[in-house]
Amino acid sequence: MYRKQVRRRRAVLLLLVAASLTLLSLYYREGNGGPLHAFERGVSTILGPFEEGADRALKPAQDFVNWFQETFEARGDNKELRDEVADLRDQLAQAQTAAQQSRELAKLDALTGGGLVPAGKQAVTSRVIGRSPTVWYSTVTIDKGTSAGIAVDDPVIAADGLAGRISQVTRGTAQVTLITDASSSVTARVQPGGATGVVEPNVGNPRDLTLNFVEPGEEINEGQMVVTAGFSAGALGSLFPPGIPIGEVTDSTLEEQQAYQRVHLEAFADLRDMEFVQVLAKAGRSK
Amino acid sequence: MILTTPIIIRLSVLILVTALAQVACFSGMVIFGTSPDIAILVVISLGLLGGSVTGAVSGFSTGLLIDCLLLQTLGAFALSMLAVGYAAGRYRENVGPPVRGAVPLLGGAFTLVGLVAFAAIQIGTGVDADVSTIVIRDAAIKTLIGAALAIPVLLLVRLLVRPALIDDRRSARRPMAPRAAETGTQ
Repeated sequence: MYRKQVRRRRAVLLLLVAASLTLLSLYYREGNGGPLHAFERGVSTILGPFEEGADRALKPAQDFVNWFQETFEARGDNKELRDEVADLRDQLAQAQTAAQQSRELAKLDALTGGGLVPAGKQAVTSRVIGRSPTVWYSTVTIDKGTSAGIAVDDPVIAADGLAGRISQVTRGTAQVTLITDASSSVTARVQPGGATGVVEPNVGNPRDLTLNFVEPGEEINEGQMVVTAGFSAGALGSLFPPGIPIGEVTDSTLEEQQAYQRVHLEAFADLRDMEFVQVLAKAGRSK
Repeated sequence: MILTTPIIIRLSVLILVTALAQVACFSGMVIFGTSPDIAILVVISLGLLGGSVTGAVSGFSTGLLIDCLLLQTLGAFALSMLAVGYAAGRYRENVGPPVRGAVPLLGGAFTLVGLVAFAAIQIGTGVDADVSTIVIRDAAIKTLIGAALAIPVLLLVRLLVRPALIDDRRSARRPMAPRAAETGTQ
């Protein structure tokens, strides 16, 4: 009897491990249109409304827990914000008296304030309904899919800046691969100055991004803004339109710039806690 | 665990609700910079209550559902949660049902096992990542949260699958035995 139980236990374990490894292996080997991807999208489509329902139903509980965390953080942020306000007031006073700085600020404001949605595209506002529980996967699920005109590779923008791109889509939901994902890379430009590079994540540290392949000799300072470069080269053009704010340079030592041609930046968008995003989908695509 | 059709239905609903709640709610909660992993605690509880087969099957199912809901690599969560469920079940089969004081330790330890297994799968499947302080801090806090929530989650899961638990059936019958011994009858 005991031996039979042991045999059964081992058989179940072997079967499940083999199933997992087979799924992993086949999933990597097949393309986006493969049967496993289709199965996954099917399950996600069926459970999408339940996921959205659970998100709405459990939002008060989530907000309750997050309130403690935010209060805890707010106490620490208070002094820092007061200092920052004082600094900003000084900067504002300087900007008002210096015409050159004022012109630069106005130009920067025009760049980031409007005209982000290129011709032929429409902004589709979506709600974030699912997040990965680990720091390894940098993706979120949103509540709009092909029925709203969203397609793979459409750029996604959060309230403060670039969030990522659509990597998978079902009829009612879509997966957004964030700019902090290992597979993400975005051609970018430092403002003002115009130095270009490629923004890539520092995998395992979702709060840190790096601007790589910066041309040697370009002077980049902390606090400078990094926006999408959005170059156009036919079929190989960038997925992202130009001028979308990405982040702010946080660490830029001359040694690192010269030796590794890179600087560190922090994303403007609060990727961990964002609730709504806008997808720049092709106009007139919705069904 | 005695698996009857109503119990299997109950377990399926529990797994479905757990996966949905994890993805839609718990992953969005921020506690000391990370989010609680309730799904893994439910799998650990099922393993501790039902044994290795129940733990492995429920771990695999929960992981696969989360993989599907997140449109992620199919099998990654499934394999790591399968490992955790099986390990928790083997603990029960070798050591016995956990005493209340050991549950937080087991909750924390198996949560850590799950995180390490998942990280190993990620690195094994080609994610070129540094083991940064953020990852280590995330794992440490998740382990502590796992330890803190292990008892309530275990009690909740136990309540839901109680009719299927062999220990509870035995303990319900136990008071009869001493009286039989006192009277000398078998």
